[in-house]
Amino acid sequence: MAGTQLLAEGAGNYLDFGIFHISFTNALIMGAMIVVFVLAVVIPFPHHEADDEAPQ
Amino acid sequence: MSAIEDTAAKTASAPRTSWTAWARYRIQHTVPEGQWLPDRQPSYVASWIYVFGMATLVSLFIVIGSGVVLALGGSEWWHTSNVGHFFNSVHLWSVEIFFAVMAIHLWGKFWMAAWRGGRALTWMTGMVALLAAVGTGFTGYLSQTNFDAQWIGAQAKDGLNSVGLGAWFNALNPAAALTLHIVVLPLAVGVIVIMHVILVRRHGVVPPIGAEEPTS
Repeated sequence: MAGTQLLAEGAGNYLDFGIFHISFTNALIMGAMIVVFVLAVVIPFPHHEADDEAPQ
Repeated sequence: MSAIEDTAAKTASAPRTSWTAWARYRIQHTVPEGQWLPDRQPSYVASWIYVFGMATLVSLFIVIGSGVVLALGGSEWWHTSNVGHFFNSVHLWSVEIFFAVMAIHLWGKFWMAAWRGGRALTWMTGMVALLAAVGTGFTGYLSQTNFDAQWIGAQAKDGLNSVGLGAWFNALNPAAALTLHIVVLPLAVGVIVIMHVILVRRHGVVPPIGAEEPTS
């Protein structure tokens, strides 16, 4: 068991917040997903002027 | 009236006289006319948040395509050759993107309350597709044929045993994990995704809260 723990210790950097234990890479990806979600909501979608004239 | 015209007229007026007529009727009426591949959408669809469903679908195609290439080459190929490494990476990163855009698609639809307007089944098939995809991802970890797969398999075995599922699924059986990963679970994901897309086309994309849905 001690040997396997030794192997795992070198595998990446981890963030610790109380009971939460997460790898830095996973936290970065989750943060990036939230940023993309917010940008998708706020950034206007490009459209052609012809679309405004066409009936919906 | 010719014989062909006569037959056409009869099948059009009596669509349930045979299984082919029944199937044709179902295909024609599953979604409203012109909605299988629509070329116009309501104005509220012009938002980036509506892009992520299609992004999920496109990344799924790349996942399946790269997985087929890996299946043709085999583990000795994808672990040792440059081209094998490339397709291994394409498979990994298309899966990463698949789950990321699927999660953003889920967030968007959750905050839009996308189950409104008779779309409960669309929402539920999406959730089941997510669960099936997670299972496919987990068995993918077990199918890498490397020490990573061994480590994850041992952890998964302990976890499954602790909740009493070890009798039904042995995470340390690589043949079972690989077969589930490349046959059973992709088939489940594929069928559920097709159902989900058909339901989206049947009911149309959900309007934002407060927006009026087009009547036709």
